[in-house]
Amino acid sequence: MNDELEQIRQRAEQDLTAASDSQALAAWYAQYLGRKGEVTSLTRRLGALPPEERPAFGQAVNALKTALQESFDRRQEEVRRAELTQRLEAEAVDVTLPGRAPDIGTLHPVTQMIREVTDIFAHLGFQTVEGPEVEDAYYAFDALNIPKEHPARDVWDTIFIQSASREIVLRPHTSPMQIRTMEQSTPPVRVVVPGRCYRYEALDATHEWHFHQIEGLAVDERITMSDLKGVLAEFARQIFGRERKVRFRCDYFPFVEPGVDFAIDCMVCKGVGCRVCKGTGWIEILGAGMVHPNLLINVGYDPDRYTGFAFGMGVERLVMLKYGVQDIRAFYQGDVRFLAQFNRAAA
Amino acid sequence: MKVPVRWLKELVPNDLPPAEIAQRLTMAGLEAEGISEIGATWDRVYVGVVERVEPHPNADRLVLATVNAGEHHLTVVTGAPNIREGQKVPLALTGARLIDGYSDEFRMITLKPSTIRGVRSEGMVCSEKELGLSDEHEGILVLDPDAPVGVPLRDYLGESVIEFEITPNLVHAFSMVGIARELGALIDAPVLLPELADLEAVPRDPGLVTVEAPDLCPRYVGVVIENVRVEPSPEWLQRRLASAGVRPISNIVDITNYVMLEWGQPLHAFDRRFLHEGRIVVRRARPGERIETLDHVDRELTPDMLVIADADRAVAIAGVMGGLDSEIRDDTTTILLEAANFNMLNIRHTARAQRLRTEASSRFERGLDPNLVWTATQRAVALILQLNPEARVTVLADAYAEPRYPKTVVMPRAEIPRLLGIDYPDEVVLDVLSRLELQPEIRDVDGVRSVVVQVPTYRSDINIPADVVEEVARIVGYESLPETLPWGQTPHVTRDPMRRLIADTQDLLVAAGMTEIITYPMVSDDDLRALAPGAEAAPDRYGFFARPELDLVTARNPLRSEWTMMRPTLLPAWLKNVAENLKHSPGVAVFETGRVYLPRGVDELPDERPTLCLGFAGERHAADLYHRARPVDYFDVKGVVDALLPRLGAVDIVVRPITHPSLHPGRAAEITVKRQPVGIMGEVHPVVAEQFGIPAGQRVAVAEIDLKALFNTGLSDVELRPVSRYQPVEQDFAVVVDEAVPADAVEAALRAGAGPLATSVRLFDIYRGPAIDAGKKSLAYRVTLSAPDRELSENEIQRIRGRIERQLARQVSGTLRG
Ligand SMILES: [Zn+2]
Repeated sequence: MNDELEQIRQRAEQDLTAASDSQALAAWYAQYLGRKGEVTSLTRRLGALPPEERPAFGQAVNALKTALQESFDRRQEEVRRAELTQRLEAEAVDVTLPGRAPDIGTLHPVTQMIREVTDIFAHLGFQTVEGPEVEDAYYAFDALNIPKEHPARDVWDTIFIQSASREIVLRPHTSPMQIRTMEQSTPPVRVVVPGRCYRYEALDATHEWHFHQIEGLAVDERITMSDLKGVLAEFARQIFGRERKVRFRCDYFPFVEPGVDFAIDCMVCKGVGCRVCKGTGWIEILGAGMVHPNLLINVGYDPDRYTGFAFGMGVERLVMLKYGVQDIRAFYQGDVRFLAQFNRAAA
Repeated sequence: MKVPVRWLKELVPNDLPPAEIAQRLTMAGLEAEGISEIGATWDRVYVGVVERVEPHPNADRLVLATVNAGEHHLTVVTGAPNIREGQKVPLALTGARLIDGYSDEFRMITLKPSTIRGVRSEGMVCSEKELGLSDEHEGILVLDPDAPVGVPLRDYLGESVIEFEITPNLVHAFSMVGIARELGALIDAPVLLPELADLEAVPRDPGLVTVEAPDLCPRYVGVVIENVRVEPSPEWLQRRLASAGVRPISNIVDITNYVMLEWGQPLHAFDRRFLHEGRIVVRRARPGERIETLDHVDRELTPDMLVIADADRAVAIAGVMGGLDSEIRDDTTTILLEAANFNMLNIRHTARAQRLRTEASSRFERGLDPNLVWTATQRAVALILQLNPEARVTVLADAYAEPRYPKTVVMPRAEIPRLLGIDYPDEVVLDVLSRLELQPEIRDVDGVRSVVVQVPTYRSDINIPADVVEEVARIVGYESLPETLPWGQTPHVTRDPMRRLIADTQDLLVAAGMTEIITYPMVSDDDLRALAPGAEAAPDRYGFFARPELDLVTARNPLRSEWTMMRPTLLPAWLKNVAENLKHSPGVAVFETGRVYLPRGVDELPDERPTLCLGFAGERHAADLYHRARPVDYFDVKGVVDALLPRLGAVDIVVRPITHPSLHPGRAAEITVKRQPVGIMGEVHPVVAEQFGIPAGQRVAVAEIDLKALFNTGLSDVELRPVSRYQPVEQDFAVVVDEAVPADAVEAALRAGAGPLATSVRLFDIYRGPAIDAGKKSLAYRVTLSAPDRELSENEIQRIRGRIERQLARQVSGTLRG
């Protein structure tokens, strides 16, 4: 009897070792431990035994059953693990194949630069405001201390809009918002004004008839030109690098006095002189100055009490300098192969 | 303005290298645009004297010239017809770099020893062209008799010329003397003014000059000089004019040009023989009056133009150009020299109307100092007498009704620190202003400690205290300013909600895979017509916007015919961009957030409305490992709009079909938010697409949304609802409705039936076919139900299903299938 059990055990263990996949394991289980399996059928023979042998036999069969079940569990775990390993091996991919990338677009470089600049000035307390592009000549010129006879009002520089009795222009600069802003508020005033501007100008690699400017204006008691220098230096260093040196050069704009050109040392040659800076070591990036008292008078501010500074920069020029864009016309030709390159996430 | 450095250094003696002079002046407001070097390449070229000229033994047209240049003494072969013994000439030795005088192109050659017709030549005497001075190559350049023999030509003739850009305010610096004054002030060096003639003793005859239009001619000086001899100017004068970019002509004309360069005051000389009655009348032109100017153009004048006339007719267009009749000729002996001041605006208008900008007009246009007229006269007379010692000044007239005097400007002493944020010691302020010849004094004016300056009439740019501050700052140097930040409280910065809406829109669309474009905001009439091809009249809407009754915002002087008016819609530029990008990209996904300009009335500024145009063309998604490309369609653009608008805070968004001239008749929709129309979307009508150069067969889907209208609907912020902890229940409904029933009506009925427990209603299939009646469609929805506070019971779910069924039957005559 026990021999028979031992034989079954040995055979079962051998068969179990031979079973190498789930299917063979299932077959093995059915053959030995299933409802009609050999071990299960042994218990059916219990009734045929004399009562005194039954307990021993029962125990022996149960022991066999338990042993085989343990072996089976162990083997099954081995096989599962092997099968999983096999499956995972089979699923290996070329990890260098392209992924399923979502489409992500690009903001226009001019939009990006406007955001960057207005963000910088927001931290310095400058509110961003916008104004009309189709503008009254009073705001575009007269109120800015550019009287009728000033050369900038020539038909050669400005695009005029058809009108009956009022002179209306496409603003040639964002400066009209200096006047509009001051008219609508009382000091302290700190604003930056991004927007489109227009000039009657033939197009070439460095001239556009349509471009963007960012105007800045601060008016308060005790605003000085040193403040202007400090604010512009902070701006320039955030855009072009902390190590930038800055420079004021005397220049003329009718709506400021004194007026200056603001330059940074050339980031390409570090001031030695190169093609980008035309050998001077400096790159002029904007015009600025102290708000001309006539403007303050025009908006009803007391020029003896208040002073202010103003500046205006060309956005395209900043992008061109920062990224080495050679031709300003590229911004508005709208070729996505150009635009999509400005795809770095904002720092 | 071209400034020869030798000339400048004659006026302000100094040792600064040209680059530093340029730099110093640039920082002070006179921007140097470049420095050109005359003679930079003149190595091995010397001043020589021609000792002997002999015939060439083997050639009639060549000569042998023996030239002594100090250390170098040699015989050269030359064909120059003008070579004479005793002349000073430029002698080039072998190895010199010269311009090929016989080539029409600019070509540098290196001089080599050569044998010409059997005679060895070790050098060359040079023409102006060979030295790069001019195109003259017929004869050699003959130098002044006092040219120093043996000196390198570069040291004698070489010149650095600085080109300055003069801003409109710096009229006073638009001359050699003016720039010398600037430089003198900057480097604290005296200015040596040129010699002037004393004209006090010259008899005056008011009848010589009659000014009939004193409003246009504040001053006119006429001087009669007899016994002049017209001949070429001496070499120094010719050279100086040439280095400043002016072509020498003859002594009298050259002197007028020279004085203009030196002092900034244009002059003109008439041959008095041709002045009827020998006198000058300054008056407005008569209607139809004509004049042939020095450039041989016959010009018609109008009464708003000022002319210089004799007793009968115009002999010059005042301040612009002289007439041909009275010009100086070789046999002129008596001249009338004009120095005058004209109204700047009038000169500008005349020059523009005549399309004639001259050196003279460009100076008068800036507004000159009337007192300069007299100085320039004195200087010109001095030069004429220097070159023509036998000439006699016989009579003059000075019509100067309202003399201009120096003005006083009072600047509070505190204005300097108030504007600059830094102060300078009194001594520095006084020193700088003295160098600028402003005669500063510090004294109390009305109890305020002030700097009082006397502004010479040539400094028309100094009028207010801030002008004086600038003078101090620019001469001391702006590098003296520290970098500070504004004093006081930083104003509170808020984000403009409209700007924020635009930025959010841009960011969402970029996240949705679209690229931002910025296009020109001007369009042409053709562009707008192309939006509604075949329409007999103008279409009743441009893009989203209804056609205004008023004329569009139109340029008076458009730059090009394609940019004549401010756009009333973003569509044309967007379509053009798509057409361009389709040339190289199979699929295009671009948007623009720009303004449209809707007229509000004549003489009114237009309504500038921030507007969004977005869309797709060609293939949607490039074909790759995972997707097949497919043509874009309406649902690409609607999908983006569906995702975008709620994220911008729009609620109650409804889409309904419309007909629109630019859109596919079966695939066009209007978008409303809270019942307000905010935009349109659809597939672009193939005929419209074709008008804009989009190849046939390329589908284009676009939306134009009025962001201002959207904003005005009142955009809402996030409204949080609690996330239920209980398992949601999904229920499917196959709703059979008539074909004509729009999906959003079915969805509305489902939502009405499901009530607030429906957290999502999603259409996942549309069936048409034998299983349902013809003319019907079956829409399969999955409705997700969830209560915040409980598990939904089977009973509750059945009640909801019942309500949904009733709502479907009532609202869309729908039945549930299967
Ligand atoms: Zn550089």
